Amino acid sequence: MKKTTLTLLALAGMAAAPAMAQTLAPSPTLDAIKARGSLECGVHLGLPGFSFANDKGEWTGLDVDYCKALAAAILGDANKVKFTPTSVQQRWPILQSGQVDLLSRNTTITFSRNASLGINFQGINFYEGQTFIVRKSANVKAAKDLDGASVCVAAGSTEEKNAADWFRERSMKVTITNFQKNDDAIAAYDAGRCDAYTAGIGALAGQRAKLKVPGDHIILAEPISNDPQGPVTRYGDERYQAVVRWVLNGMIAAEALGVTSKNVDDMKANSKNAEVRRLLGAEGNFGAMLGLSNDWMYNAIKQVGNYAESYDRTVGKDSALKIERGQNQLWTKGGLLFTPPFQ
Amino acid sequence: MMPATPSTFRRWQARLFSTPLQGAITLVILAALTVAAVPLIRWALINATWQGTTRADCVPGGACWVFVKARFLQFMVGFYPEAERWRAGLWALLAALALIALIKAPAKHRGSVALGVVVLLPSLGIWLLAGGYGLKPVETRDWGGLMLTMFISIHAAFIAIPLGILLALGRQSKLPVIRLISILFIEFWRGVPIIAVIFLASLLLPLIMPSGVGVDRLARAIIGLGLVIAAYMAEAVRGGLQALPSGQAEAATALGLGYWRATRLIILPQALRISLPAMTNEFIALIKNTTLVLVVSILDLLGVAQASIADPNWVGMSMEAFAFSGALYWLICFAISRWSLATEASLARATER
Repeated sequence: MKKTTLTLLALAGMAAAPAMAQTLAPSPTLDAIKARGSLECGVHLGLPGFSFANDKGEWTGLDVDYCKALAAAILGDANKVKFTPTSVQQRWPILQSGQVDLLSRNTTITFSRNASLGINFQGINFYEGQTFIVRKSANVKAAKDLDGASVCVAAGSTEEKNAADWFRERSMKVTITNFQKNDDAIAAYDAGRCDAYTAGIGALAGQRAKLKVPGDHIILAEPISNDPQGPVTRYGDERYQAVVRWVLNGMIAAEALGVTSKNVDDMKANSKNAEVRRLLGAEGNFGAMLGLSNDWMYNAIKQVGNYAESYDRTVGKDSALKIERGQNQLWTKGGLLFTPPFQ
Repeated sequence: MMPATPSTFRRWQARLFSTPLQGAITLVILAALTVAAVPLIRWALINATWQGTTRADCVPGGACWVFVKARFLQFMVGFYPEAERWRAGLWALLAALALIALIKAPAKHRGSVALGVVVLLPSLGIWLLAGGYGLKPVETRDWGGLMLTMFISIHAAFIAIPLGILLALGRQSKLPVIRLISILFIEFWRGVPIIAVIFLASLLLPLIMPSGVGVDRLARAIIGLGLVIAAYMAEAVRGGLQALPSGQAEAATALGLGYWRATRLIILPQALRISLPAMTNEFIALIKNTTLVLVVSILDLLGVAQASIADPNWVGMSMEAFAFSGALYWLICFAISRWSLATEASLARATER
């Protein structure tokens, strides 16, 4: 008798699973976003290419695009997102106090932040790292070719220490020339007093655009430090965290699978690839499993684009910054971007 | 005016070169001014680019005011929606009219005009800017630029000036409880850095308040600023109150005036006249302190300048952005201090009469 009841319950459970609803974990954050009708996204106050206000006063950039994609996935409209520019000091409290649903603001993922601040990092949307800018004519391909070169740095900066350590570890003879400020160091580099200047990839791209002839300089793709960055949520509400994680994965997967904002309709209707069909909601009920509509990723890709489209537009080849893909290339093309399968 | 008449020449000679030492000082100062001003003028005016629409039009070596031109409305009103910008303009007009009314009102009616402005400008202004009741709502996060700087300054002053006067009177009060409360309030708010107050108001308050109960971030910042400046204003007014001979209050009492009437008719008009320079100082400090709201995501004039220089299509425009916003701050503060000087002079004339 008991056994039959259990079997029946199990059967009922299996029947109910696809119909979801009852099996969904509660998600106060998702409920609040839907009730509000908008996503609250904390962004950087102004970082070229990643988050800035354009001439029309619209927020634009790689980090901004991610929030738009998330809004499209949750609410079906990439414009239903409100941006709060946050300062460095203010970013954690504003997330912890619930004034924003997530931070997407160029924040390095570290162990101690994850462990002690009550926040989770939900993936990597930009592999930032310290690297060098050199003249094209110098014929330097990687940092290890800099033996015998001179590097301009701001005295006492983290960059100076990192570079010195890195060269010493490899017993390379590199002259490090100190300057009072970053601006002085880059000006000296531009004037030809050093062979290289060092900073993070994103910062270097911004600096390069200010040089006399930006096209004469290249940024070495391989960094000497590791500062991966991605969206941040507070502890709790696992289902919402899964949504944040999988929308980022979905944008990367879309690039890997060749789904773009241009061909997404065609792919949804005609693709024979099961992963594409699941991603776009033509097969299975992946959106519903997270408590979203089934065309969650379709909306995100259609309205914002896949990772490559967003990258090229904001920081990559179609932007003023022209940052190489480098580590921010798919794993299949020699980069580090990787997504678990949509299965 | 090339050939200076001998008398003019001699007058200047007497002013600047009356003794060898004075002549040397004059020359040194002139040299220093030239060293500082020439590159600045060359950068800001002579080598500057005025015509064009994009960064490509900028000529290297000088300021590129094209950037400021392209972003002018953003510097003025922040991200206020384009279709609704006339409301921001109307508000600015309203605020200007209110201030003119306040300045030009005959002394007899100044009190009632001030009361009218303090009641009408915030209520009409907030309706105009925030919307509702027939106007399209605009969230305060879209406000910004010079408009927001002025909005914060004016409303924080509306809190600070009346509260400051009350606190100054409270500190002189004969009732120990009122005196104690006033002293505690003044000393507390004077002892806390403004940036800490803004931070607490913006970040700690939401943590301790029940979720769903939210006071707008801008309102929190304005109230925080207003309370701190009120404490400083109170001290400025106290200076005026203490400078007043006690015979004034005693004479008023002897005439049969009660405390409030004596204060309103005899004490305050004289005390405020004395403390006007100090109060103007506090107001100018307030205007400059509004830039601190940047740390809590409110994009005032300086915030808009910072956000706009991050546009990769306009890299390297930080000098222009900061020079322009700095010049605006200077203009406003300079205008206020001139107004204060003029008012002091006219009040002094009134006393002489």
